[in-house]
Amino acid sequence: MNIDVQHLAKLARLRIEDEKLSKFEKDMESIVSMVEQLPDVTGDASGLDPEHPMKLREDVPAEDKLSRAELLANAPKMQAGCVVVPKTVE
Amino acid sequence: MELYEMSANELSLMLREKKCSSEEITRSVLDRIKSTDDKVGAYLTVCEENALSKAREVDAKFAKGEQLSPLAGIPIGIKDNISTKGVLTTCASKMLYNYVPPFDAFVIGRINAADMVITGKLNMDEFAMGSSTENSHFKKTHNPHDLDRVPGGSSGGSAAAVAAGSAVVTLGSDTGGSIRMPASYCGTVGLKPTYGAVSRYGLVAFASSLDQIGPLARNVTDAAMLFGTICGHDSMDATSADREYPDFAGKLNSDVKGLRIGVPKEYFGEGVDDSVKQAVMNTVRELEKKGAEIVDISLPSTKYALNAYYIISSAEASSNLARFDGVKYGYRTENYDSLIDMYEKTRSEGFGDEVKRRIMLGTFVLSSGFFDAYYKKAKLVAMKIVEEFNEAFGRCDIIATPATPGTAFRLGENMGDPTKMYAADICTVTVNIAGLPAVSVPCGKVNGLPAGLQFIGKKFDEQTLLNAAFAVEKLYGEARPVNV
Amino acid sequence: MEYETIVGLEVHAELNTKTKIYCSCRNAFGLEVNTQICPICTGMPGTLPTLNEKVVEYAVKMGHATNCSINNVCKQDRKNYFYPDLPKAYQISQADIPLCEHGYVDVMLDGGVEKRIGITRIHIEEDAGKMLHNDAFQGSLVDFNRCGVPLIEIVSEPDMRSSAEAKAYLETLKSILQYIDISDCKMQEGSIRCDVNVSVRPKGSTEFGKRVEMKNVNSFSGAMRAIDYESRRQIEALERGEEIFQETRRWDDLKGENFLLRSKEDAQDYRYFPEPDLTTIYIPLEKVEELKKTIPELPNAKVKRYVKELGIPQTDAELIAENLQRCGLFDECVSIGGVSPKTVSNWILADVSKYMNETGKDISGSNLTAEKLVKIIKLIEDGKISNNSGKIIFDEIMKNNADIDAVISEKGLSQISDDSAIEKIVNEVLAANEKSVSDYRGGKTNALGFLVGQCMKASRGQANPAKCKELVLKYLNG
Repeated sequence: MNIDVQHLAKLARLRIEDEKLSKFEKDMESIVSMVEQLPDVTGDASGLDPEHPMKLREDVPAEDKLSRAELLANAPKMQAGCVVVPKTVE
Repeated sequence: MELYEMSANELSLMLREKKCSSEEITRSVLDRIKSTDDKVGAYLTVCEENALSKAREVDAKFAKGEQLSPLAGIPIGIKDNISTKGVLTTCASKMLYNYVPPFDAFVIGRINAADMVITGKLNMDEFAMGSSTENSHFKKTHNPHDLDRVPGGSSGGSAAAVAAGSAVVTLGSDTGGSIRMPASYCGTVGLKPTYGAVSRYGLVAFASSLDQIGPLARNVTDAAMLFGTICGHDSMDATSADREYPDFAGKLNSDVKGLRIGVPKEYFGEGVDDSVKQAVMNTVRELEKKGAEIVDISLPSTKYALNAYYIISSAEASSNLARFDGVKYGYRTENYDSLIDMYEKTRSEGFGDEVKRRIMLGTFVLSSGFFDAYYKKAKLVAMKIVEEFNEAFGRCDIIATPATPGTAFRLGENMGDPTKMYAADICTVTVNIAGLPAVSVPCGKVNGLPAGLQFIGKKFDEQTLLNAAFAVEKLYGEARPVNV
Repeated sequence: MEYETIVGLEVHAELNTKTKIYCSCRNAFGLEVNTQICPICTGMPGTLPTLNEKVVEYAVKMGHATNCSINNVCKQDRKNYFYPDLPKAYQISQADIPLCEHGYVDVMLDGGVEKRIGITRIHIEEDAGKMLHNDAFQGSLVDFNRCGVPLIEIVSEPDMRSSAEAKAYLETLKSILQYIDISDCKMQEGSIRCDVNVSVRPKGSTEFGKRVEMKNVNSFSGAMRAIDYESRRQIEALERGEEIFQETRRWDDLKGENFLLRSKEDAQDYRYFPEPDLTTIYIPLEKVEELKKTIPELPNAKVKRYVKELGIPQTDAELIAENLQRCGLFDECVSIGGVSPKTVSNWILADVSKYMNETGKDISGSNLTAEKLVKIIKLIEDGKISNNSGKIIFDEIMKNNADIDAVISEKGLSQISDDSAIEKIVNEVLAANEKSVSDYRGGKTNALGFLVGQCMKASRGQANPAKCKELVLKYLNG
């Protein structure tokens, strides 16, 4: 199958350099042609399992909280207590 | 014998008999790291100061006569995708080269509560994607049995450290074989627990429905002790099972009389080295001599397992790894002129090629128009695999297979061809798809390299698995650190 | 050609639970940036979601209140897209199996006409954070406080035919949300938001036209403007012979226009798949029924009852019913009884509403009780105090929590309604003003007002003015 690597890269917010494109295309094609070999099966794949339902969390606020400084200590760029990103409006 | 060569079980006894201190053990292991790690490359971060201060703290507790856990004072190394508060957790990726978590993973909470001594963070394939640890952004890890060979992956650092004696025990993670495969290549014991037995909270997710944290050790007793320390319910993980667990180490029993061992023909077919098949079957026959019953079984959907695995794991990974975008933590590209530009450059520069391939595969199988043909079908195949295991477990108690289709390959040997690399997971992925527990235990050597036998068990029946592995260990003896 | 406008709405309502949907951070608005956050809602590596049980309960309640069937076995899915306010780069939502579906609400249109609007589905999901923009600053700032605030998305069928119908539908949803107390519905805080889908077709046609989705609609009146604008835009395009494309547009309420955001070709591929970190949501049927029993009488039923059983005019009934505080007070007053429901309604819509609007306070947080309001109205209806005095007493209660009887005696508000006492005053006044009496009899009828005024003055304002007038007239005409 022909895999549109550039389209996938765009969806995944990746950028594939031109010189690597043909290698990625070749790899992706061989990977996809490997994994697409699946039997013809049909059925419900939703995986619902009401016999083993999820235990839900009680609606009680946590008391011990990390500070803003601790939580955002890894952020590459901060200003006024906020994480900074390039200007963007949607 | 040096302290670093001892097992956790032996050291635990020595600490209680005051034959040594935790500080002495820790220094012995730290020295071993210094003398071997430039060749093995198991560690990404060594926590010398923290380790020594924790060891001294434990020694003080012992001196006061406090009742401590069996693993108190024992050094442990942690795979670098398990969050450690205040200590770099990089997932061996440039993307997280500077990431220091502000919280501990659930298992680290347990390790700390058990007063174990964390010696450092271990190398791995980037974001646990790989079968050789060659995909680490930082360095390659070498197999201590043969430095020209890979240790397996993705928990290559965890297996190599145990094999080299630069850790007594370690934690790894297993999504498609990432504990069992390197354990097999490095001649150590590796346990992949039942899905839900160990909380995933704080494990940087690769494929959420398949990931499990588990122990690697030089013997079954140590693995059982460590597993007993980290298993149990965690309300922070909705997929964590709420149940009681036995004292695995205390109940270890190598008697295999009456144990029905299923041997599935699909795991002994094409693609698996004859010498490995032989090593595994020889071992199974030894167990038969000791009273085990061999049952021929069939797991016909095994041939689709690898494909289903790569679809499901990559789909989940493509979503799990989307959060690495340069906004909140980790790497951000230097120069960018818009949000999209920042995203694309950050992710392209931050991720290695294998991670990119998996993200693109995952993006592809979930994308509009392809979901049903790939993801949904893979899920249906997974359900079929579960059914077949259930059926098989009606006729046997555990299943024996090779842990890997071959022994450790040479560095660089499979790097050019991703699908060839993926094939190394052929024996292990079904277990993750079915959420079952499995252990890899050394079953002798093939051409001078360790071979691993895999036992697959029923859900939450780790005891039977560990007992069978214990029986195999009696045949070949416990592993000791190899000369590097 | 005549056209028909087709409107469908996707309403997002923030739920007023104590904690967020997937972590134990407080669900609170308006606090300092990035202070209501934790590793989970900021998407730190290795963190996992745990679903808040109240979110499920609240959504089921909304399902009951909108006549939905409840999928008591369901799951959550990931919706994948990149944006800085979405730290995990996916939103946990529900795709193919929503918690509630196939429901409806009846909305009241102008003139008391009722219309049924179908509810396609209601599902639970998490809110995103907030982007802060400032012209003085090079970049955009991200505040994660709102990340993980629980939302329900209520998707309607394309059953509305005008902006007015859309507004009536939105008002109905809002009052239901408030009645069952699952959302604060504060528009200015963005706790209800909606996406608007508009298409047009020639009147009489049964096929739908191409649908345009509008984002960034932040108020009900904005929704009306956006619908009117978009419907006009599409009709004008069709009139010019142009084609309408399925696309997403952004509404700019200040400019009163919308702009193309993305065309169908650029439609995002969200790559939904089941959320592997969460397993099956299962609500036992007994619990589903138990939640149904908690649903109070809803606004529409109230309006009908007010009009039919209590004789309240339609518009007044709607005004009372649309606000939970107002209708709560009204229902209580009516159940105490002894006063005309119409009078109670008038008081609530006038004085009580004025007080609420001016002070921004709730009735529940004020000094007013149903007992007090009924007592004031009864005193007026019995002629014991004047209408004006009633208002004075009301103010005293609201300001100083005054005792009604004490205000009446301190301010001398009690009204003389006793016939013999008033007759005595009337006789004295008429005797002292013979000229006015003869003026009146001579045809100068405005002398009546003067004479009544003199009676009131003589009683120092305490005589019942109606009674005074009645007796003066009786004498003059007698």
